[in-house]
Amino acid sequence: MDIVLGITTKDAVIIATSKAAVRGISILKVTDDKTRQLSDNSLMAFTGEAGDTVQFAELIQANARLYSMRNGVDLSPTAISNFTRNELANALRSRKPFQVNVLIAGFDKKTNKSSLNWIDYLAANVSLPYAAHGYASYYTLSLLDRHHKKDMNLEEGLELLKACIAELQKRIPFDFKGVYVKIVDKDGVRDLDDIE
Amino acid sequence: MSNPQEINGGAAVAMVGKDCVAIACDLRMGSSALGVSNDFEKIFNYGNVYLGLTGLATDVLTLSDVFKFKTNLYKMREERAIEPQTFANLVSSTLYEKRFGPYFVGPIVAGINSVDNKPFICGFDLIGCIDFAKDFIVSGTASDQLYGMCESLWEPGLEADDLFETISQALLNGLDRDALSGWGAVVYIITKEKVVKRLLKTRQD
Amino acid sequence: MDTISSRFTSASAMALGNDNCNEFNPDGFLDAPSLSLPPISQPAAFLRAHTDDASNRDCTIKVNHGTTTLAFRFQGGIVVAVDSRATAGNWIASQTVKKVIEINPFLLGTMAGGAADCQYWETWLGTQCRLHELRSKERISVAAASKMLSNLVYSYKGMGLSMGTMVCGYTEREGPTIYYVDSDGTRLKGDMFCVGSGQTFAYGVLDASYKWDLSVDEALALGKRSILAATHRDAYSGGSINLYHVTQDGWVYHGNYDVGTTFWETKAKEESFNNVKVEL
Repeated sequence: MDIVLGITTKDAVIIATSKAAVRGISILKVTDDKTRQLSDNSLMAFTGEAGDTVQFAELIQANARLYSMRNGVDLSPTAISNFTRNELANALRSRKPFQVNVLIAGFDKKTNKSSLNWIDYLAANVSLPYAAHGYASYYTLSLLDRHHKKDMNLEEGLELLKACIAELQKRIPFDFKGVYVKIVDKDGVRDLDDIE
Repeated sequence: MSNPQEINGGAAVAMVGKDCVAIACDLRMGSSALGVSNDFEKIFNYGNVYLGLTGLATDVLTLSDVFKFKTNLYKMREERAIEPQTFANLVSSTLYEKRFGPYFVGPIVAGINSVDNKPFICGFDLIGCIDFAKDFIVSGTASDQLYGMCESLWEPGLEADDLFETISQALLNGLDRDALSGWGAVVYIITKEKVVKRLLKTRQD
Repeated sequence: MDTISSRFTSASAMALGNDNCNEFNPDGFLDAPSLSLPPISQPAAFLRAHTDDASNRDCTIKVNHGTTTLAFRFQGGIVVAVDSRATAGNWIASQTVKKVIEINPFLLGTMAGGAADCQYWETWLGTQCRLHELRSKERISVAAASKMLSNLVYSYKGMGLSMGTMVCGYTEREGPTIYYVDSDGTRLKGDMFCVGSGQTFAYGVLDASYKWDLSVDEALALGKRSILAATHRDAYSGGSINLYHVTQDGWVYHGNYDVGTTFWETKAKEESFNNVKVEL
């Protein structure tokens, strides 16, 4: 039910996640942040089974930070994606799999390229120009197919995101209480003002 | 959704020609009806051996990495690249190791043996039973369709150019009758001298 | 007397009469053909267990399913656009299905869900509309036509009919009108509907560019583009696009567009679909 969306632009990735934390028939919180920063230039957005999501994201976050401390360099976004995939793949055939779907947004300072990886709880990992998990993908992917351009700048990317959120607010049959928007680029990860 | 081999969709085919082999796959990776990626290649290369992996996307990725690791180790120990027949046995034993909790894949292997220069193809079920074939091997959600296409288009002794045409038509027309495969395709034509990889422009629906 | 009594006898009471070939004639639908029922205790449950993909994925009989259809009202009338793929499980049974049923020169019905159900009952609706015309010397309203279909499918509720349809038409009194009718018995009048497995993808593109003031050409292009978006993302939609425009003079057919070629033309023109690989 959560909304997790990612759009790459020329030199940044935009991540949007819904603010509502829903359990059963109640919204428990309207300021829930469904992302964790993994390194200076990468961010994970997650959705899935309650409990698993935050546990898993923080497991990856801790390991990514441990690597940075031990080696004095950050893992690249590609490396983090592969590590995340492996953790999910190993969990999948364990006694208790993580039921978590994630997007990993990153900016690789070595290659100067932004990247967005879509990984589901089965640990299928693909790199995409724009991606979403859950119901949001059914409404936004066609819109993104139509309007997303290679080498868009950040402003154009945010306009496109606005159109996606407007569509979700119009068609999704519950209130997800708006989205948090984060931008991952060469300068790191930063929050953006709310899109209403 | 109940069958793990049909969640993500995808198809692959291999064919034997005169002193050449061909292997091809589609590019779709979906989540049931929803198409997710159109850049999901299912053919992997280890020296002069080509492996096509259809089925559950996560196992395709896992196994392609496992075989990368195993063939690299083989190369270090033996100081030569692995041959197609040897690789086929490696695939078989690797799959059977997970007999009671299998990888949900349909692997196919194609290559030219560097000792006797003979073409080799084979396929497997998900727990490692090898299916040696002299003509063609199909795999994936479009396998029924591909059997039909290959049975009618394939003939013995095809030259590399004709083999390309044959495998491409077989794959393209097979994909067009399967909802879970398609979204682009790649073909490898493998001869002793060179390997040519081509992208096929397919329907996108 | 027998005919009068049978008119007011409920279906279940009638079903008891026959020994091995029961028939179902829905309450109050004298003109509806009666359909035979198998001589078993729970025909609907039996049918559901063997043919309903949604409740049982491993069902042995797959009926044709999967669709994207849309219709929307705008300044210049109504645009109706549909795909043409029929699937039975993952098997593409046809790429050339006609999913717009031309009920009469002023009425169109779209087809989603069970292909046979839609085809049969919308054809039946066509005969009813004609009879209405002959009896009352006046074309039937879209409201009345859609209500007939809605009441008919409602009388079969729980027996496994699967239909999601839009009845689109023009009458002097109503203007251009769209009714959404489905086999649950829902009947809604509205300005814009997308129905079928690819509906969400069509809504995505349609909502983003829809305006009441669209020109006829723009509206037709938008309808076509919305179906194209759905055929791309939804595995169970595809084949070709059929386009219709409904005006005060009745409906006009605006052609069939193969997705295979239309996709690449659209991609080149719009520089869209840039997730699609064009070279190695």
